[in-house]
Amino acid sequence: MRPATTTLSRRAATAAITATRPSQAQLLSGAAIKTTTTAPKSRYITSLSRPRQMQQIQQTSSIQSRPLRKYHSYEHPPPPGPFSPTEEAILSAAYKHVPEHGFSLESLALGAREAGYLDISTTILPEGAFSLIRYHLVKQREALAARTEALFRVPENQKHVSISEKVELLTWERLQGNAQVIARWQEALAIMAQPSYIPSSLKELAKLADEIYFLAGDVSVDPSWYSKRASLSTTYAAAELFMTNDHSPDFRDTREFLRRRLGEASELGSAASAIREWIGFTATAGVNVLRSKGVRI
Amino acid sequence: MSAIRTSISTTARHYRPSQTAVLCLPTAASRRRLSSTSTQEPTSSKKKLKPLTETQKEFLSSALRVNQAGELAATLIYTAQTPPLLSREPHLRPLMKHMYDQEAAHLSTFNTLIAKHRVRPTALYPLWSVLSTGLGWSTAMLGKEAAMACTEAVETEIGGHYNAQIRTLLEMVSEWEAEGYEVGQELKELISTLRRIRDEELEHLDHAVEHDAQKAQPHWLLTGVIRAGCRGAIWVSERV
Repeated sequence: MRPATTTLSRRAATAAITATRPSQAQLLSGAAIKTTTTAPKSRYITSLSRPRQMQQIQQTSSIQSRPLRKYHSYEHPPPPGPFSPTEEAILSAAYKHVPEHGFSLESLALGAREAGYLDISTTILPEGAFSLIRYHLVKQREALAARTEALFRVPENQKHVSISEKVELLTWERLQGNAQVIARWQEALAIMAQPSYIPSSLKELAKLADEIYFLAGDVSVDPSWYSKRASLSTTYAAAELFMTNDHSPDFRDTREFLRRRLGEASELGSAASAIREWIGFTATAGVNVLRSKGVRI
Repeated sequence: MSAIRTSISTTARHYRPSQTAVLCLPTAASRRRLSSTSTQEPTSSKKKLKPLTETQKEFLSSALRVNQAGELAATLIYTAQTPPLLSREPHLRPLMKHMYDQEAAHLSTFNTLIAKHRVRPTALYPLWSVLSTGLGWSTAMLGKEAAMACTEAVETEIGGHYNAQIRTLLEMVSEWEAEGYEVGQELKELISTLRRIRDEELEHLDHAVEHDAQKAQPHWLLTGVIRAGCRGAIWVSERV
C-alpha cells in the first residue's frame, strides 16, 4: 500500500511545481502577440489616438513586479490566494506543530506527512521556514476582517467608536493572534530579519497596516495616508517585540504599551497638523493683507 | 484648435467595437493568467463576473490615482488663478466659480473612489500641490489670456487622457462581453462617471477658447510648455 501512495503524492507534488510555471507554448504565443501590438506609430497622431493606448497597456504590464497597492473590487471574484492548494494543505497541517517545534523545517516535514505527502515535498516551499511564518502573517491578517463586527459593537452608553479607537482595537486583536505562538515568535522575528526575507516581511507589515486602517474606516487620501500607515507599522512592530518578553497575565503590559505608543503617535500627528494649519493661515492672511494694500499679487 | 476639439468628441462618440477588437490583444502576462483562469468556469452562464487580472487591476489603480492627482491640481490651479484674475477682470467671477465648483466635485468623486477601492494616493501629492498652485498663480499674473491659455492647454491634455482611459475600459468590457461574462455595476458606473467628467473638462476648454485663450502671447510656447508638463505629470502619477 505504501509505495502506491508515495508515487501518487510525488506526482501531486511535481504537478503542483509545474502548475505554477506557464508552458512554453503559452509564453511563445504571448510573445508573438506582444510584437504585433506594437504596429503603427505615427508622429502626427495626437495623444487622442490609439497607439498611445497600446503603449499604456504594455507599460502597465512592465510595472507589474513592483509592490503597488492594487484596485480592490467589490463585485469581481477575488483572485486566488497567495498559497496553492498543495501549499495550503501542507502549511495548515504544519502550523499546528508550531507551538511545539517552532517555525522550522521540522514542523513543515510533520505537516507534509500529515497532509499525505512525502517529507521531501516541502521542497515546493522554496522559502522553507519563512513560508510557515508568512502563512501565519497572512492568515492572521485575513482573519481580522471577519472579527471587525464583533470588535466594533457599540456599548450602550457610548455614542460611537472613533477611528483611532478602532485602530487600537484592531491592532490589539492582531497582536493577540500571536499569543498562541508567542514562545516561538522571537525566532520567527529573527528569521524575518534575515536580509533575503526583509522585503517580504516589510510588505506583509505594510499590508497589515493598510488592512487595519481600511477596516477602521479611514478614508484619508492625502499625504497622511502614508504617515498614518508608517507610524502604525512601527508601533505594531515595537509592540510585537515587546510582547515576546511580556509575562503579565493576558499580556496586560503589552496592551498598555500599545495604548501609550498609539497615543503618542496621535499627539504628534495633531501637533504637526496644528503647525501646518497655523502656517497656512498666516500665509493666506499675509497675502490677503498685501492684496488689500493694493499689491497686485 | 477646433480640429482637435472635434476629434476629441468624435473619437469617443463613434466608438465601434470592431475597431478596437484589434487592440484588446492581451499582453503575454495577461494571456497567461487568462488561460489559467478560464479553465475554472467554462460552463458558467451569462451571470458571472470575470476575476480582474493583475494587469487590469494595475490599470484601474493607476487610472484612479492619476485622476485624483489631476483633479487636485486642477482645483488648486483655479484656486490660485481666481484672486489675481478677478482683481483685473471682475466679470469673470461666475465663470471661474463655475469651473472651480466642477473641479472640486470631480476631486471629491475621485477621493471617494480611491478610498473605496483601496488605491494608494500619489506619493508626490505635496509636489503636485506646489507646482499647480505656482502654475495657476503665475499664468494669472501674466494676464487673462495667459490664464485662459493655461486652462486650454491643461483641459486639452486632460480630455485626451480621460478619453484614453474610457477607451481602455470599453475594450475591457467588450472583451468580457465577447467571452460571455457579465459586466458589473462598478465598472459601468466608473465609465459613465469618466464620460461625464470628460465632457465637463472639455466644456472648460470651450470656455477658455471663448475667452481669448488663443490671443495669449506667445500662445504656442505657453500651451506647448504646459501640455508637456501635464503629460510628464500624468506619466509620473501613473507610477508613483
